[in-house]
Amino acid sequence: MHIEIDEIAKSFGDTTALQPVSLAIPSGALVALLGPSGSGKTTLLRILGGLEYPTSGRVLFDGADSTGLSVQQRRAGFVFQSYALFRHMTVFENIAYGLKARPRKLRPPRAEIARRVAKLLDLIQLPGITDRYPTQLSGGQRQRVALARALAIEPRMLLLDEPFGALDAKVRKELRHGLREIHDATGLTTIFVTHDQDEAMELADLVVVMSMGRIEQVGRPQDIRERPATPFVREFITA
Amino acid sequence: MSETPSSHRPRFRSATEEPAPVRIGLIAFVVLVLAVLVLAPLGVIFSEAFAKGWAAAWKALQSKDLQSAIWLTLVVAAIAVPLNAVFGVAAAWLITKFDFRGKAVLITLIDLPFSVSPVVAGLCLVLMFGANTMVGGWLVAQGMPIVFAIPGIVMATMFVTFPFVARELIPVMIEQGRTEEEAALTLGASGWRTFLTVTLPNIRWALLYGVLLCNARAMGEFGAVAVVSGKIRGKTATMPLAIEMLYNEYLSVAAFSLAGLLTLLALVTLLLKSVLEIRYADQLAATRRH
Amino acid sequence: MRPFVRPSPMPGLSLSLGITLTMLSLVVLLPMAALLWQGASFGIGPMWDVIDRDRVWKALLLSFRVAFFAALFNLVFGVLLAWVLVRYDFPGRRLVDAAVDLPFALPTAVAGIALTALYAPNGLFGSWLKPYGIKIAYTEWGILIALIFVGLPFVTRTVQPVAEEIDREVEEASATLGASRFYTLCRVIAPMLAPAALTGFALALARAVGEYGSVIFIAGNIPMKTEIAPLLIVMQLEEFNYNGAAAIGIAMLAISFVLLLAINLLQIWSRRRIGHV
Repeated sequence: MHIEIDEIAKSFGDTTALQPVSLAIPSGALVALLGPSGSGKTTLLRILGGLEYPTSGRVLFDGADSTGLSVQQRRAGFVFQSYALFRHMTVFENIAYGLKARPRKLRPPRAEIARRVAKLLDLIQLPGITDRYPTQLSGGQRQRVALARALAIEPRMLLLDEPFGALDAKVRKELRHGLREIHDATGLTTIFVTHDQDEAMELADLVVVMSMGRIEQVGRPQDIRERPATPFVREFITA
Repeated sequence: MSETPSSHRPRFRSATEEPAPVRIGLIAFVVLVLAVLVLAPLGVIFSEAFAKGWAAAWKALQSKDLQSAIWLTLVVAAIAVPLNAVFGVAAAWLITKFDFRGKAVLITLIDLPFSVSPVVAGLCLVLMFGANTMVGGWLVAQGMPIVFAIPGIVMATMFVTFPFVARELIPVMIEQGRTEEEAALTLGASGWRTFLTVTLPNIRWALLYGVLLCNARAMGEFGAVAVVSGKIRGKTATMPLAIEMLYNEYLSVAAFSLAGLLTLLALVTLLLKSVLEIRYADQLAATRRH
Repeated sequence: MRPFVRPSPMPGLSLSLGITLTMLSLVVLLPMAALLWQGASFGIGPMWDVIDRDRVWKALLLSFRVAFFAALFNLVFGVLLAWVLVRYDFPGRRLVDAAVDLPFALPTAVAGIALTALYAPNGLFGSWLKPYGIKIAYTEWGILIALIFVGLPFVTRTVQPVAEEIDREVEEASATLGASRFYTLCRVIAPMLAPAALTGFALALARAVGEYGSVIFIAGNIPMKTEIAPLLIVMQLEEFNYNGAAAIGIAMLAISFVLLLAINLLQIWSRRRIGHV
């Protein structure tokens, strides 16, 4: 899905989280929102997911104004930094949650739900953990379950907030490739937030560098590396 | 481009909030129920007390029996509450500073009075110290009766308020850990000095909080005290017992005036409690627990 | 085998142990042992004869039945109240929050006469309800209201801290997966609050079962109808029938114990469901 951000701004009371920013994301791209904390990248992601309402500006999905679309209607697969898995549900119940939450008419039959959950567990390469609870999983497993849960609703886009933030260095490397593979397999427009330039450069097709609520530069990783547009970008990517 | 200047109310539904009508409806519902259940009884106490004017209420409180009831209640609380505070501090120290077998059992036993009916508590004391029992008989022979006398009232009061201070202190002291005391000890402080200069300042607000709750309950205890006091007018009738007697004699103004005094005490307790919760919330780990 | 007390550099072990055990024994344990001793020397058969009378059974049943329904009301209302206090901001929230504790602070006898004055046929609420043929005071409904009053704070106060701790991201996750707010409340939030709510329920129930002061005024104490079990104990004591009083007291303790055990088991089960925190 093609995503267009048109002059989106957001302030919380007196503090401005986002200056008016505009950005076009082509369908099927894997995009990194890169910047230090407080740069507004998570706010932008949450606005795309429908978790935050912009103070001004519009969001267009495939050309249609979707600014006022509720979270439930957006069908954005969102992976939270803390993963936000439901602690009182098994892995199976977590992944099936979005399907079971649908109104009766749209809800797939039980067998179909089971089939889809099994397929997703294969995709994240964790078959056979259906009956475990989140607290019985490792950090990397939790991240992948959160990803599978987001994918279960057949999302129109995939949004990930610091997806590797809570993991140690070794697992982080492994899971980067995992995300790339899942992106390539599903073809979903995928946007992830990170403060780690290696992660952004290695993984993304398109990197959006942000600072102080502004977009500093948008470009392919090698463009950004070779031709930083502002002193901030130069400093940030060489740091 | 649409401007919605810094309004916090998005046009679409927030993900973590109920829709506004539901919110307003729920708020109205709980406020209404609380008004009927809690506020109305509060109002009726004062309206009944002043049904025949301020003067009548004031005069009723001047009676000798009521004066002695007020005095007795104060005396009982003045003995029972400090004793329970000492117990609470000792028990909390024991439980949080040492590891020993049977700790869980000890905590359960300390909590026991919460799940025992006050009347059963009073009954236990009568069966232990009544004049016809072994222990009680001996004590009466020594001229120290417990049941139907002030010591029994004190013990009944202590029984029902027994866990309050300990319960408030234990979570706070667990949270604070042992390192500060250990530091003081390595610096050569004696045990008492460590307790007085390190532990006590850390737990003083929690201690005050527990004492406050303990005191409110102590001055208001009815069931347990009713059983052991014998309700001798002017001698072993505490304020709550005097209220019952006056009420049963249809002396409404006097009963409600006395009730009004206890209500004031309850309101002051709540006020102090709120002040503690607002100012020292961080030092009351158990702020929300009882 | 591990030592009884693990060696510790902390001072004051014998002092705090001494104070704790002495006071616990004197104030709580020995008197309770005296109750059991009285029961044991009276004998199980005779105790059963005391309890197995219509009047006693009715009183025990009444006490536990009404206490259960009062605790049930407090469970539902307490959770709602906690949620409103934690999540909604409205003018007077602090005042409402403080008012929740009034039943803790107000002496039970005071609450008893105040509720009676309100709900008696000539009282403020009683006179409103009278034309509709509704009688509250001196009926089971009166007892229910008194027990709701004394148990009001328990559930709210146990649920509040848990509700404050709920991670907003979990709710957001549920919403992004397409769940309606109502679905999220039922499937995600309710299970998280359940163990704390059960704790509060157990506390409210224990308190209501044993409650005496607030009930005897409003109950009317009509034999076989509105006589609660603690009142029967008081009546036995007034007749110096210590054996009878002990029998009913032990019966109450036994039933409470079984009830609380059941709730504890339910709680362990629900905590396990919440996942091995």
